[in-house]
Amino acid sequence: MNENAPAVKPHHTVNYMSESQASESARPSETLAIEPEHHKRARTLIDIEHVDFFYGKSHALHDINLKIKEKLVTAFIGPSGCGKSTLLRCLNRMNDLIDGTRVANGAIKIHGVDIYNPDVDVIELRKRVGMVFQKSNPFPKSIYENIVYGLRLQGINNKSRLDEVVERSLRGAALWEEVRDRLHDSALGLSGGQQQRLCIARAIAVEPEIILMDEPCSALDPIATAKVEELIHELKKDYTIVIVTHNMQQAGRCSDMTAFFYLGKLIEFDATEKIFTNPSQKQTEDYITGRFG
Amino acid sequence: MSTSAKIKRLDQRPMKDAILSKNKFRFLGLTLDDFIKYFFQGNAMIAIVVLALITISLFSSGIWFIPQNYQNLVVYRQAGLEYVDYLRQEIDDHTALTRYLSNLRLQQMQLLLKEGKSPEEAQTALAPLDAFIAAYGDAATPLNDMLSEQTDIASAIKDKHNSQQEELHGRELLLKAGKKEEAAALQVEPIDFKASVQPLLDMRDAYIEANGIFAETLSNLIFHPPRMVSRSLQPKMDRFRELSRTYLIELPKYEDQILNWEQFKPIPKYKAVTSFLFGRQWLTASFWQDWYGIIPLLVGSLTVSFVALVIAIPFGVGAAIYINQIASPTEQNLIKPYIEFISAIPSVVLGFFGIAVLGQSMRWLSQQEWLAWVPGFPIQERLNIFTAGALLALMAVPTIFTLTEDAINNVPRAFKEASYALGATRLQTILKIMIPASLSGIISAVLLGLGRVVGETMVVLLCAGGRIEIPDFTQGLGAFFQPVHTMTGIIAQEMGEVVQGSIHFHALFMVGIILFLLSLVINYLAQQVVHKYKISIG
Ligand SMILES: Nc1ncnc2c1ncn2[C@@H]1O[C@H](COP(=O)(O)OP(=O)(O)OP(=O)(O)O)[C@@H](O)[C@H]1O
Ligand SMILES: [Mg+2]
Repeated sequence: MNENAPAVKPHHTVNYMSESQASESARPSETLAIEPEHHKRARTLIDIEHVDFFYGKSHALHDINLKIKEKLVTAFIGPSGCGKSTLLRCLNRMNDLIDGTRVANGAIKIHGVDIYNPDVDVIELRKRVGMVFQKSNPFPKSIYENIVYGLRLQGINNKSRLDEVVERSLRGAALWEEVRDRLHDSALGLSGGQQQRLCIARAIAVEPEIILMDEPCSALDPIATAKVEELIHELKKDYTIVIVTHNMQQAGRCSDMTAFFYLGKLIEFDATEKIFTNPSQKQTEDYITGRFG
Repeated sequence: MSTSAKIKRLDQRPMKDAILSKNKFRFLGLTLDDFIKYFFQGNAMIAIVVLALITISLFSSGIWFIPQNYQNLVVYRQAGLEYVDYLRQEIDDHTALTRYLSNLRLQQMQLLLKEGKSPEEAQTALAPLDAFIAAYGDAATPLNDMLSEQTDIASAIKDKHNSQQEELHGRELLLKAGKKEEAAALQVEPIDFKASVQPLLDMRDAYIEANGIFAETLSNLIFHPPRMVSRSLQPKMDRFRELSRTYLIELPKYEDQILNWEQFKPIPKYKAVTSFLFGRQWLTASFWQDWYGIIPLLVGSLTVSFVALVIAIPFGVGAAIYINQIASPTEQNLIKPYIEFISAIPSVVLGFFGIAVLGQSMRWLSQQEWLAWVPGFPIQERLNIFTAGALLALMAVPTIFTLTEDAINNVPRAFKEASYALGATRLQTILKIMIPASLSGIISAVLLGLGRVVGETMVVLLCAGGRIEIPDFTQGLGAFFQPVHTMTGIIAQEMGEVVQGSIHFHALFMVGIILFLLSLVINYLAQQVVHKYKISIG
């Protein structure tokens, strides 16, 4: 057993690994939470069909096909620059903010609606598809104002309602106990890990259906990481989560499904335990065993 | 893992030798590094020294104003000019009331003509009012005669004093040149202020008498003022009665001042400075008395700058936000250099434009019927605060624009993304995130724009109207269409023609000092704000 693995409480413990595989340090040595059958039964929420994506002339994503299931955690893994963030940012159309980007082919459907259809209201879409960024980015405002920002945007200014949301979101992000006494202090005074959880709280305050997380733990220490992972476990009951990570253990620990990308192509997409124990592609195996090069 | 092959370094010496070697280039015991350091240090020093020299010369010239102005005030009192001015004040206040009446007559006349009366009919209808006005004005004639007599006496004393001063100065020059006999030959008669002023004081009794008759005439007149022909103007006539009554009640005050005047009462030393800092008159080369009060110029500079900022802030900040957040790259490439080019326009050219185009078209606009509701319209002068302010705004826009855009650029992209990701619209993101986060940058941009505007000379000289007077703020916003003169304008205009070393010359230096301090404060504030801004972002 890996000593460094953060304490995630799985429902039950199954060891999918053979002895030889377990000796590989990159392998998740912890156990996985949900039986594969669950995944098959879950409904498809996001349907990515034959998507090609361009930054100006540079072709960043090639013919991506992916079905993201409701109320599961889907992890995107792959070497740096393979397009994980790009795909993630397509899901709430954050790429629209970058000049010259376009989805050239295919469609991304959420609840069957193509989100790149001109009739789609991007603002409404982003309210339903929240996002947590790699680098925590609280606004230079108080903790309280950070959390209620999304609500105020929607014109909600009722004090008791906002108070309630602040407490619920902070509890949801496992931050309430730490900051309850200083809600009106600047959010920039929090530690890095607290800031990241604050950003998660801010994202769930507007009650989205989907939460996108782009390497949410990359700047955090193991304890903060463990807290966020624990949080993901909790959040999964209510939200569909897509997470980009470079940490194989993390992908193994907290995701149900894993997609492996390489050079802008989706190489393999399957149940996490399958990917980590018995990948069908040679490239996937090379990557997760660290033999990549 | 380590490579077994030996690493080939450029420098083959062992480390110990390499780091201890000191065979650098040296000249006069100095290394190249030292030369570079001293070169830049020298440059910085020269800049500081030049700045210090400017400051010192400004202050060392300006400081002479204070004793000179003190002397100016002393002569004003001892030569009896102050005494005469009390009477002048009384008469001026009366004249203002007469002017009020004449205005009223004009309005009445226009009203009658508008009602369709012929000019002759109107004249007849106005006859009682005309008689009243004539009588009201004439009541002051004896006082007026007395005033001109006194004015002559007092200015004669002052002239004598001045020529005596010049003679003294000449003698000093001779002495300095070593021509003792010639200096001794130049007899300078000292002027006896007390004896010279005596004739003025002797007129007191006559004054008291004349004043009594004056007061009686006025009170009789306002007891039965003529009724206005038009009802609508009657309240103004009533107001006139009210004003006249107040004037009458205050008449004894003028008398008291005149009777209790002390020729040799010492003038407090601080007056030499306060009469400059708080003086409401800038009056030079007058036959009577020169005043060097900076307030009209300061107010002129500030109102012009205020108008400039009110116009430039929305344009500069708005353009910066638009360019940074909304515009497409093509628009950016088009508009940005264009705005920045404005600052390259010589200010004289802007001044031309102000006179020929802006002032002219403003006056044309102000005469249009449908714009009559704008306060101050129709404007009398085409060159006024607004004209100058609008042009200065043009000069401030590039500064404000560029610095604001920098400030907005400095807002981390992550804030913007986080805002959009929470479902904010572009407008919400700009208003709630981008502007607050760059606010101190914007403020300092505005302050630096203000610094630019306050120091600008050519445009205000050409377009502010050049009237040295505090605008009449009782007219509300209309005050911004009045001509003013500014601190920079006055220096540029008068410095060339004043006698070097005169009080006027030094007064201009004092104005320069105030301007210098003002710019210093503005720049300091801007730096403070920027400093704070850096901390809050980091
Ligand atoms: N704003 C951009 N403009 C142009 N090209 C971009 C932009 N952002 C990313 N790319 C390119 O798109 C490709 C995919 O980038 P992406 O950021 O999605 O990679 P990633 O998988 O998230 O990598 P990492 O793990 O390092 O975050 C890369 O080749 C990258 O250089
Ligand atoms: Mg990325």
